[in-house]
Amino acid sequence: MRTSFRFTLLLAFLCLVWTCASAQGSEGSASKTGKHPEITEQEKLVACSECHQTATPEVYKQWFDSLHGIGMVKCYQCHGTFENFNVEPAVSVCATCHKKMVEKCPKDQKCWACHKPHSFKRANK
Amino acid sequence: MVQTRRDFLKRTAALSAASYLGMLLPFNSAGEALAADDTVWHRGSCRLCGTGCRLELGVKNGLPTALRGVPESRTNMGFLCMKGMLFWKVMNHTDRLTTPLYRAKKSDKFKKISWDEAMNIAADKFAGAVKEHGPNSVAYYGSGQALTEETYFFQKIFRGGLQTNNVEGNPRLCMASATAGYMTSFGADEPIGGYADIEKADCIFIIGSNMAEAHPVIFRRVMRRKLDNPKVTVINADPRISLTSRIADIHLQFNPGTDLALLNALAYVIIDEKLHNEQFIKDYVAFKKGKEESCDFEEYKKSLADYTPEKAATIMGGKVTADQIREVARKFATSKGTLSMWTMGLNQRKQGVWANNLIHNLHILTGQLLKEGADSLSLTGQPNACGGVREAGGLCHILPGHRPIEKEPLRNQVEEAWGVPKGRIPAEPGLHTMAMFTAVNEGKIKAMWINCTSPVQSLPNCDLYNKGMAKDDTFIVCTDIFPTKTTELAANLVLPTAFHFEKTGVYGCTERRSQITRKAINPPKGARPEVEIIRDWAALLAKKLNDPVITQCIKPFEGLEPEYALPKAIWDEYSQKLTKGRDNDLSGAPYEVLEGMFDGVQWPAPTAEYAKTGGTVKKFVRGMDPLAEKLKTDDKPYQFYGAAHPDHKLWVWLRPQANPAEMPDADYPFYLSTGRIIDHWHTMSITGRIPELLRANPYAYIEINPKDATRLGIKPGDMVEITSRRGTNIMPAKVYEGPIEGMVFAYWHDQHPDRMINKVTIDAIDPGSKQPEFKICACKIKKVSGPQALKPYIT
Repeated sequence: MRTSFRFTLLLAFLCLVWTCASAQGSEGSASKTGKHPEITEQEKLVACSECHQTATPEVYKQWFDSLHGIGMVKCYQCHGTFENFNVEPAVSVCATCHKKMVEKCPKDQKCWACHKPHSFKRANK
Repeated sequence: MVQTRRDFLKRTAALSAASYLGMLLPFNSAGEALAADDTVWHRGSCRLCGTGCRLELGVKNGLPTALRGVPESRTNMGFLCMKGMLFWKVMNHTDRLTTPLYRAKKSDKFKKISWDEAMNIAADKFAGAVKEHGPNSVAYYGSGQALTEETYFFQKIFRGGLQTNNVEGNPRLCMASATAGYMTSFGADEPIGGYADIEKADCIFIIGSNMAEAHPVIFRRVMRRKLDNPKVTVINADPRISLTSRIADIHLQFNPGTDLALLNALAYVIIDEKLHNEQFIKDYVAFKKGKEESCDFEEYKKSLADYTPEKAATIMGGKVTADQIREVARKFATSKGTLSMWTMGLNQRKQGVWANNLIHNLHILTGQLLKEGADSLSLTGQPNACGGVREAGGLCHILPGHRPIEKEPLRNQVEEAWGVPKGRIPAEPGLHTMAMFTAVNEGKIKAMWINCTSPVQSLPNCDLYNKGMAKDDTFIVCTDIFPTKTTELAANLVLPTAFHFEKTGVYGCTERRSQITRKAINPPKGARPEVEIIRDWAALLAKKLNDPVITQCIKPFEGLEPEYALPKAIWDEYSQKLTKGRDNDLSGAPYEVLEGMFDGVQWPAPTAEYAKTGGTVKKFVRGMDPLAEKLKTDDKPYQFYGAAHPDHKLWVWLRPQANPAEMPDADYPFYLSTGRIIDHWHTMSITGRIPELLRANPYAYIEINPKDATRLGIKPGDMVEITSRRGTNIMPAKVYEGPIEGMVFAYWHDQHPDRMINKVTIDAIDPGSKQPEFKICACKIKKVSGPQALKPYIT
């Protein structure tokens, strides 16, 4: 059974403001710096998934339907929070739960070479 | 450089696209969860729920750097939740308590004092209370998070030294009904099987448990079982659709408190359709009603006539159909192995023991026990509620080794082990938790030691009891690592303690498994392990009371260094002298054995050779449980040797549907229920200090069914007032189809005075287990404003 959750708290409004404001410019992208776009301290109190349900719905859906989503492995466990945010998690973070798999993985490859980010389905499936 | 959301989106998309193509992206290999040459990994257990996940703390240059799972562990197989992954971050937090704090009056400000001064004050106050008001004027209130060595040592000093059984702990608030359920149904506390049954079960029946949030790593095992084996049936029975429901084939949603009718209806169908196991019943089962009056199968069957599926469906509120009840009963009875799991939804109830009996009934009737994949498994809330408190004497009515206090020969065994005179331990049980805090309100407790817990926030109807704790009538010592609502309101003396991995000791988790955590790093300067504090305090008590018996209580531990030798000596005394020959026999599991295990040992484990195999996976089964062979009374394969059932039978109980203590009415029309959220642990004094966890859920909120919200004009994020006959909260609304219509639900971690939901909950207790009914009370709600920006609140 799948439950439909409607995360529409007050701070979803802040998310919307941020979404609109951010859309006005594209300087200083995360792709260049690996940092999360700047937001206020109050906005930092919104759970990642609440904003990203709107901001990156395709990524949210991939995560929500994945083993991580069902098993409640949340965004910050891989990506950190704002002070230690990484767009690309370190493989060593994966080793928190998947130590043996990481040790077996070829050193020149990252986990997501085989396991699609957020959905974690194997690329060849 | 400021980054925009658009750029973030692009980056995220690039990462996805690259992966789809098998490309490699620029990668930062820095991290701590992989072995690094200069990082030393120390094995231990998690302390943030009752699962017993094994993990390793990475230490570099004396500082903690990361936590990672232990893949070889039979509890978690290497997986951790976010709390287990991140709790290392609080070890060097600037809020850590590092100096004893004292105030003569609770209205005064704390002042820093030396350890010598602190210990003298603590000893003076307890000795003075005993001299002036007698032994029962003092009390200990401990925790399911304390190490076994700590709980055992505290209760030894209070019982053997100060001669009071006023020894309690917060497991009374979470597990007492499970204990009473096991005792009355199976004759012995704690489950027959364990987590290994998850991977063998074909039907998993979850009731009164949002395990996806409260026990996420156990939930992961259930999820994996279901996803890998789609034919496995998962049933979730709960008044609230939760994240646990995501993997359920069937969700039974009913009005709070009507699950006794459901469980009786399942029994009705099982018997009506002749799905019960007649031979198993004939060989192993007795029937009981009332307090302990015998009856027979026919009388039991007759008692179920009031619980036809149609009648039960009506009692339950109409969302569950009679056909669903029949379907669930058939699956429960006929699967190759049915595993039930529950936690506070059944335990924190005025009828908690009855609810536990009724679920055990189903397993006994069908023989869904004692075989692979079948068990009636109560999930423990805290890491050491079982090992430390239930097994080592941490409640007012039990002595170490599952010894009921009223049995004189058993008291004498403990007195002999301690080398104290016969009759030293009082025969009368002490005050259970709610009676203890009532006695504080009445000024009858003059000195109280609160260890590793925060009753100011965690007691039901807490404002009532906080009035007593705030008075100067009761001198209160708190041992903790951080300031809490309890240190703030109630303490006269605060003693800073060592945290997990800063000291050595054993935790015993849900499945009878004891696991050691050795000291890996030093505590902050000024903080001390509890075992050292207890020993030094007891030595001063002996002098001030001029009592050589108190000296005798600490004699085996004198002069031992507190980091390892002292807790080891305490564990040795407990495991070798007081579990040997008992059902929780851990005499085969000294530190040397426990340290050699990836995970730990499941008792009974009477020899080291046997303990090294991991111990007993299934109790009562000959060939699997050494005590079943040793204590057998016939040639049958199952031997129910539990001391509480002299007939060596499992007992099926006649237990009718009964309402909660408080039902909704015209003035308070809603049911209120409460629970844990995944990111936080209890009162968030630890997890609220970890930025990732705090930000994930910084506040409590009230969940409201959309139909109720529409009717009351409440929109998502609106500030809602929740009022019961006891107190009021105001918190934001989350509107979603989780709680059944007519019910609201609040998480209980928030420390803010406006959002501490235990001001609202009820302090009615189960008459048998004395556990409060946190899970159900009546309330009213109303919108007080639109959305407001809130700030997290940590004491």
